[in-house]
Amino acid sequence: MSRMDPIVPQLRVETPRQGTARPMALPTKVAARSVSVFYGDKQALFDVSLDMPEKSVTALIGPSGCGKSTFLRSINRMNDTIPNCRVDGEILIDGQDVNARDVDPVLLRAQVGMVFQKPNPFPKTIFENVAYGVRLHGLAGSRTEMQQIVETALRKAGLWDEVKDRLNAPGMSLSGGQQQRLVIARAIAVSPEIILMDEPCSALDPIATAKVEELIDELKSNYCIIIVTHSMAQAARVSQQTAFFHLGKLVETGPTEMVFTNPRESRTQDYITGRFG
Amino acid sequence: MTEHTVRSFSQDLEELSGDLARMGGLAEDMLSDAIQAIASHDLVLAETVVSRDPQIDNLQVEVEKKILRLLALRQPLARDLRQVISALKIATELERVGDLAKSIAKRVKLVDNVGAEGALKGVARMGRLVTAQLKRVLDAYTALETDAANKVWARDEEVDEHYQSLFREVVTYMIEDPRTISACAHLLFVAKNLERIGDHCTNIAEEIHFLVTGEQLPTERPKVDALNSN
Repeated sequence: MSRMDPIVPQLRVETPRQGTARPMALPTKVAARSVSVFYGDKQALFDVSLDMPEKSVTALIGPSGCGKSTFLRSINRMNDTIPNCRVDGEILIDGQDVNARDVDPVLLRAQVGMVFQKPNPFPKTIFENVAYGVRLHGLAGSRTEMQQIVETALRKAGLWDEVKDRLNAPGMSLSGGQQQRLVIARAIAVSPEIILMDEPCSALDPIATAKVEELIDELKSNYCIIIVTHSMAQAARVSQQTAFFHLGKLVETGPTEMVFTNPRESRTQDYITGRFG
Repeated sequence: MTEHTVRSFSQDLEELSGDLARMGGLAEDMLSDAIQAIASHDLVLAETVVSRDPQIDNLQVEVEKKILRLLALRQPLARDLRQVISALKIATELERVGDLAKSIAKRVKLVDNVGAEGALKGVARMGRLVTAQLKRVLDAYTALETDAANKVWARDEEVDEHYQSLFREVVTYMIEDPRTISACAHLLFVAKNLERIGDHCTNIAEEIHFLVTGEQLPTERPKVDALNSN
């Protein structure tokens, strides 16, 4: 910055330089309240409280075994499928506890879509992969409506132009990156409100990764997206909020640009700069 | 700061600090020699100052290359990122200090000492103050001490006040004895260069504060306006 010349009077223009820490203005979509997860006697997650705003991307980062995937899976009750797994505390979606007795996990998973590390299309056609959940939940009233829903989902997933001429080809015939976008199309076809992603790009090449990241960026205007990633750069690129987990505890959370330029906690600092012991 | 898991990354960062320390050392020597040369009308010493400037310029180019490479290959984050960015800016500041010291040295042969002794003494005094500021801020950078850096930042006011009183003093000499006008005018440029070096020191202090804390110092620093105080 240039200093003012003391022998020439000047007007100073005030420019705010602070202000990297923007408050999260968006309303909370998913709220974790003192969430602890146990696998038998072993506690995997300790008293995690975290607000995840709607229409934005929250990245969960941390070393392997830190509890970030366990936390992610507790949001759509994927942990229910694991024997001896117990979840304490509350996961609130729009204020409703997902673990309440009257919540049907199947309906919950339509509301909370999930994308995994490895693309896992069903052994069906491209069309059927997307149509499957729609049919399961009875969301299409007619064949035309079904075609409309499938096309819209594939368009939103940025895959339509690549597959529109071969909708009856097997989903497995697509490339890895296309398969991952197909799975994302399948997730959004049932009109979820929340999309969970567990390392969605770790099996993809940089171009396919870029396409998925671009997709995440577009999807965030409609969905609350929560993504687990081992790539610091990806967390920095796609998310607005970052939460750092270590040894089952939430160490730090904040606006992504703050976490990656000036984290408050030394453990976060050490992890993201690659100094972790 | 513990070692980076990738040790070559830590080595890259250390190398960068080493280059900055060398630039700082060169700038400091050039400045104190330039002041010495002007005070004692030492043309030989002045010439060595001028001849040293390309060393700082080359180091700055070197630092920029290394930083470009670091950003591309290592993608530093958090404090590492701040360290790299502040090194880039501090290198520019030090390069400017070198230029200003060279500019002072070039004026040695234009300043005829006869009749301008009073003005010369004032310039030398201001020169010592600014040299001390540069030394302190470089020490603060080496030790990464924000308190020390903040003190340098706050003390620039003293440099500015010094400049203004020197300005008035030198103008008085010119009025008293018009034969000294040429020498005194050059000395005013020297004083102005010193004042600018003081500003570069405060910029470096701001970078240290940012590097260590992640926060910017406020834009407003107490400033004395020469025209208002005249």
